[in-house]
Amino acid sequence: MTQINVRYYAILREQAGMTHQSVDTPAHTADALFTELSAAHGFTVPRNLMKVAINGEFCDFSRVLNAHDEVVFIPPVAGG
Amino acid sequence: MPMTRWSSSRPLLVADMTSFFGFSSQPLSPTDETAFLADPSCGGFASFEGWVRDENEGQRVNRLDYEAYVELAVSEGEKITAEAQRRFGVRQVRCIHRIGELAIGDLAVWVGVAAPHRAEAFAACRYVIDEIKHRLPIWKKEYYASGDSGWVNCERCAQPPEQHHEHHHHKHSDNPNHSGDTQGQSGASDYSRQMRLPEVGAKGQAKLRSSRVLVVGAGGLGVPVLCYLAGAGIGTLGLIDHDELEASNLHRQTLYAIGDVGKPKALLAAKHLRSLNPEVDVRPHVAKADRSTINDLIDDYDIVVDCADNFATTYAVHDAARAKGKAIILASLYQYEGQLQVIQANQLGSCLRCVWQHATPDGITGTCQTAGVLGPVVGVLASLQALETIKLLLDLPGRLIDEVLLVDLVSLEMRRLKALRHPTCEPTCTRLPTAPADAAQATELSFASLLEASQAGFCLVDIREPSEVADYACPVKSLVIPMGRLLQNPDALPQEQKVLLLCARGARSKGTVQALRERGLSHVWSLLGGLDAYR
Repeated sequence: MTQINVRYYAILREQAGMTHQSVDTPAHTADALFTELSAAHGFTVPRNLMKVAINGEFCDFSRVLNAHDEVVFIPPVAGG
Repeated sequence: MPMTRWSSSRPLLVADMTSFFGFSSQPLSPTDETAFLADPSCGGFASFEGWVRDENEGQRVNRLDYEAYVELAVSEGEKITAEAQRRFGVRQVRCIHRIGELAIGDLAVWVGVAAPHRAEAFAACRYVIDEIKHRLPIWKKEYYASGDSGWVNCERCAQPPEQHHEHHHHKHSDNPNHSGDTQGQSGASDYSRQMRLPEVGAKGQAKLRSSRVLVVGAGGLGVPVLCYLAGAGIGTLGLIDHDELEASNLHRQTLYAIGDVGKPKALLAAKHLRSLNPEVDVRPHVAKADRSTINDLIDDYDIVVDCADNFATTYAVHDAARAKGKAIILASLYQYEGQLQVIQANQLGSCLRCVWQHATPDGITGTCQTAGVLGPVVGVLASLQALETIKLLLDLPGRLIDEVLLVDLVSLEMRRLKALRHPTCEPTCTRLPTAPADAAQATELSFASLLEASQAGFCLVDIREPSEVADYACPVKSLVIPMGRLLQNPDALPQEQKVLLLCARGARSKGTVQALRERGLSHVWSLLGGLDAYR
């Protein structure tokens, strides 16, 4: 299990009911982590519309997770 | 040395179209300048001469010094003469401005235009002198008979405000009450508080005055952006918005009044901005911002501030502006949060499509209308947009470059995320939609236009019944395969090309795509909103 700090934005924050959480996860990639959290929180935005940033930099969902990474899931927003 | 018009060494039968702006520290000779415009295809020549006069605002003037921020003024002056050539279809445009010490009666500025016919020569000549006075960073120091002297910041500021807008430069902008709005103003605008900042100063103010910014959307983000940019003295401020004011806008769109509900926001905003700062050339456009309208406007601006409230507009504006190498300041928000991105004009950095390659179908992630929004949240993001615009114009440090700023106003935290240029991003950003490996979940797509969908490589398939097609045919090349037949025989679809199904309102095509996906076809999508959304 890896300890990861996760932050949620926009509709994910709303659906998760929190802005951030620390999770212990068996996931090795951002992709697997998102799938796990989607199931837990009932996210409705398809993964292919999402972006992920790890430790302050946008990256691919295939990125391998390291302990204590800060993972930010970001849906696109358009309001103005 | 005097020179007659046809004694020019230029060939008489073929004359290239030219536009020129320059400064001279030596006295000007209209005869010599006119010779540059020799063009046998021209039957009309108009010129304007600005002379030094002996009086200004009641003071006797003995002489004066002209000083200019030359590198900026030349580049802006060249833009003006080229604009005149393009707008009025004239062949030869030339403008020379004096710098240095001038005496009463000296020629301070000379404009000459040659054209096939007189009407456009007069119009272009008038345009050039008006824009030169309006946009160029030129100062004059007047020496008065009383022994005093004083710097006058740019000629235009010395005129009474009602004269600032008497020229009508732009036929395509909606300009009701243009000169009327500025009546009753006293004195010129005062930028002293921002000019006191060492990073701004007179030079920075001149740069702001010569800048041209287009704001897309006059809503929650657009209103504060427009007010701050007008207040800062941006010389030319365009705005485009086709919406009429609704009462539900007022909690966050603070320059409008309840009595204005139902009126076009672009015109309401323009009226307010002109009264806020009569020096700004405010150009409202009551039109929907899409690739075509932005393309028509974009050459007149240096920076585009995207204050749209939907993905389709944002991508259309981004693609049009990126293709022309314009800087773009993007912001969008959701409830208590926002995102900010600055696209550099040099086309070298990352763009919107480097981060979000595809436009998300509107409606999937929520809007201000459906998800709600607090007024001050929009205000914070809009202030950041105005700030980044000014920082970019003045080349101030700390700007957002190849980054996305996430702003969370619940926790009051900001986060700068590095967003590097995508390896396949073209200089003009034509990373058009291609199916990502995991696109299986998204079934609906929207585009700026049907043509864009076609150009993006989709085969359009109209699944409506023949009677509907007869009533209104899809305006872009498409196959017609009615839904029932398609579901019976999915092999009728192209196999090697992405397929976009379309129906009247997007419901049947969505359902059909879901059914086809279940049968293992991953290369089909549904046009969000159907044909009705593009009529």
